[in-house]
Amino acid sequence: MQSEYAIETFDLTKVYRSRWKRREVRAVDGISLKVPRGTIFGLLGPNGAGKTTFVKSLLSAVHPTKGSAMLFGRDAREPEARRPIGYLPENHRFPTYFTGIGMLDFYAALSGVDSGQRKKLIPELLALVGLEQWGSMRLGKYSKGMLQRVGLAQALIHSPSMLILDEPTDGVDPVGRRQIRDILTKCEEKGVTIFINSHLLVEVETFCREVAILHKGKVALQGKMHDLTAGKGYRLSVAQAPENLVDELRSKATSLTAKDGLVDFQFATRELVNEALDLVRTQHCEVEALTPTTSTLEEVFVRAVEK
Amino acid sequence: MRYTLTTTIALIRDTFREAFARKIFWGLFGLSTLLILFFLFLLKIDLVEGAIATVSLFGRTANRTTDVDRLVRGIYGGIATFLCYWGMILAVFASGGLIPSILEPGRIELLLSKPVSRTHILLGRYVGNILVVSCNISFLVLGVWTILGAKTGIWSKTFLISIPVTIFIFAVLLAVVVLIGVLFESAALSTMVTIVLLIMSPILAQTSMMLRLLSSEWSRQIWRTLYYALPKVYDLGKIMLDAIQDETFAGYMPIWTSALFGVVMLSTALAVFARRDF
Repeated sequence: MQSEYAIETFDLTKVYRSRWKRREVRAVDGISLKVPRGTIFGLLGPNGAGKTTFVKSLLSAVHPTKGSAMLFGRDAREPEARRPIGYLPENHRFPTYFTGIGMLDFYAALSGVDSGQRKKLIPELLALVGLEQWGSMRLGKYSKGMLQRVGLAQALIHSPSMLILDEPTDGVDPVGRRQIRDILTKCEEKGVTIFINSHLLVEVETFCREVAILHKGKVALQGKMHDLTAGKGYRLSVAQAPENLVDELRSKATSLTAKDGLVDFQFATRELVNEALDLVRTQHCEVEALTPTTSTLEEVFVRAVEK
Repeated sequence: MRYTLTTTIALIRDTFREAFARKIFWGLFGLSTLLILFFLFLLKIDLVEGAIATVSLFGRTANRTTDVDRLVRGIYGGIATFLCYWGMILAVFASGGLIPSILEPGRIELLLSKPVSRTHILLGRYVGNILVVSCNISFLVLGVWTILGAKTGIWSKTFLISIPVTIFIFAVLLAVVVLIGVLFESAALSTMVTIVLLIMSPILAQTSMMLRLLSSEWSRQIWRTLYYALPKVYDLGKIMLDAIQDETFAGYMPIWTSALFGVVMLSTALAVFARRDF
């Protein structure tokens, strides 16, 4: 069955009930989400927002209390629905008795890759994540960053149509992070859907095309990254502005800051910044800079969870 | 079908790999080897016209004329009894951690994310575990059988029945290990419960005597229920001994009731595993 969405959830709900007390925790509360094929989607949220439970529901590690999830149009509960998925869990614990090669061989076999293909693919994948020298070493001797990279190789080994990555760059040094980003960019070029669950906002902002912010088990905000962070306003920096001009501009601006003879005014709309510019010109003051400003994802995130 | 086979082999290989890494396989293999070496070097039998002239153990010689066949069957019986109790205790002790280990957070999520059903994952582990122990049992029994056969010229095939019987007993006990492991994720608890069942078996087997001694009908009923419901390691051991001694055995009841117990335990474990959140 073909679907235009890699992930679709319908009113997905997970309620944890403690065995002895009658306490309920709604970890995921009626989430309906659609992730189009081929996009890079970021799932954000504060600790305890339900991100991990949501991801586990997609992979059937957690059984939803209500609602359903589909992966590429198939019911997520069917094992076959997980065949096109490559997954890297957060806080993964690969058995330390494996070597890098052994681990890749095992998980590739579980994904249905036959023996001949595995022999061919494993060295390629190790080279891709920069671990070709370390394939024969036991995982117990790997650093956190190396484990993360071999984990990514494990997720990629069966050429999945979608990658679900939980904190993919956790514990990885800046060079390794760049390497992981490059690998994921190549995957995106091949049309692989990438679903990232991360708390690193800068990373999600630079990498993801779409984002959903979860808060208290619900989707607090969802949209394209460009739409969420664009259109905030304009910043006008004026040098040596006289006091009467500052007072006049202050009434139009949303905020101002003054430092070293420069006053920065923030305007909400293009009309307002043009009016301000006319005033500055009539007073023969010098414009230092005029720049459109966007919201950072952090600002969007804070606004969404503080609503 | 192709995927199923690849996955099953991977799960079994993983169980072996973990058994090797935890030194479980080599531990059991070492013990079996010691026993085989014992028969190879320390037990010396001199035969004169089909009867044993001298038996030498630890360098001490006893002059006797005994029926060789009786002696060999006695040794076989001793080994079968050893396998049935001490062998099973060792095997259960060694296998106790193999189920809870796959349920560790960070490991189970990744296993479940693969296109493999939960039933397949657990059964793969179960079968892998049985094969680890089966290799050791077969090695021990075949090793002893070959050495005694070569030393005495008696190749009693009935001893080989101890291979399927002990594997069957282990499979039944392992179902308990799997259920407790899935329920409580505790290697210690699953080992303890299984060993208690092993210890209870010879006690419960004294049914006819106990039914005479117990005063009330309800206590007799409880005894009967426990006897029929729990695995009959003692009775199975006796069946195995009878077969080795070429004696007739009482019946198939201990086999099918123990098998039923194992099936119920394993089915419950599969049902619990299928419903659990990780």
